[in-house]
Amino acid sequence: MTPEEVAAAPSVVRWFDSARLNSDPDEEKQLRYRLLADFSNHVGQSPDEIAAGLLRTTKAGQSAISAKRRAAMDASIDEFVEKSGFTGKDAVVNGNIIRSFLVHNGIFIQGRAWRG
Amino acid sequence: MEFKQVLGNRRSIRYFEPDKPVEKEKIQIMLEAANRASRSGNIDYWKALVIYRDELDAETLDGLRVPTTTADLDMAPVQIYWFADMSYADPDNFRKNLKELVSLGALNASHGWSDAYVDENVVGQIIAPMLSDPQVVGWMGTIETGLAINQAMLAAVDEGLGVCLHAFNIETAKAVFKFPDHWVPCWTLLVGYPAEDPLTGGQRPRRSISTMAYINNLDTPWEEDPAVTEKLKAAGLIQNEIDAEKRAAEVRELARRFGLPE
Repeated sequence: MTPEEVAAAPSVVRWFDSARLNSDPDEEKQLRYRLLADFSNHVGQSPDEIAAGLLRTTKAGQSAISAKRRAAMDASIDEFVEKSGFTGKDAVVNGNIIRSFLVHNGIFIQGRAWRG
Repeated sequence: MEFKQVLGNRRSIRYFEPDKPVEKEKIQIMLEAANRASRSGNIDYWKALVIYRDELDAETLDGLRVPTTTADLDMAPVQIYWFADMSYADPDNFRKNLKELVSLGALNASHGWSDAYVDENVVGQIIAPMLSDPQVVGWMGTIETGLAINQAMLAAVDEGLGVCLHAFNIETAKAVFKFPDHWVPCWTLLVGYPAEDPLTGGQRPRRSISTMAYINNLDTPWEEDPAVTEKLKAAGLIQNEIDAEKRAAEVRELARRFGLPE
């Protein structure tokens, strides 16, 4: 996927609205789109598919987060960050940008904090 | 700090200064505050394990994380694991402690207490049957532990610390800390100096006590006396509610500082 395609995805629009990212400098917005596009390519899924794929339907017909798939996605994020060559604070920040996308699409997930 | 101010200032702190050490003295104050909590039968219900984060290896710290407690474990320099020690549920503990309370006059004849009552009646007829009900044992152990935890939290606030109760990975904790099977894990209390405004811009919204408390019968909600409410505001127990806009700006700044999701 390209950053432009990512930017148009409903789950990404939802992320930007919910996190109030639309008023950020264009450079920061493009960085997020590019990062998520790279991650989408890494896992072979669109942002919408990534977010939807972490949800499951309970026997009662309700939507719930799949703990197993979330753990796997968390590991994929770490793997992507490592493969991309990010280190130090960049590694933490970039991994957490992807987690931010998930968070604002209703996936409860936490990343590590950068302690310097 | 004045007591009402301490009550009013307590918040669940989400961002800690990761590298500002927490003095052992302050942890001791918290533990002593817990040790002064009300406890039925003067029984030792709780156990606490104080862990300094930097004493843990990276693998253990990782293993203690759960989805709701990930970034927090990185930031808080101290974790206090609280357990309800179910070995309390032995009638002989109650016999011994109740007799001690009788001998000291804390429990006294004015209220019907005597050595004879403890020996011949209360333990066999009330305590032992009560302790044979697992639901009661669990309820009592955890509620009494909760009272102790709360006092520790308030003492921490009084000492200028931030605190927040969290879940943790019990399997890892059990493997690493090797706590006995009769210790029921309750919470980990994360402790540190707040990296955020310790008052987080205001109190969390609370519904009026009239929606939760009643007087004389359940048809009559407790009616707040506005003069008392004003007095509590002046004393700092009731404070302004959190300002969402200011808080959002603060969270964003902190998220950027720690590289966390915005």
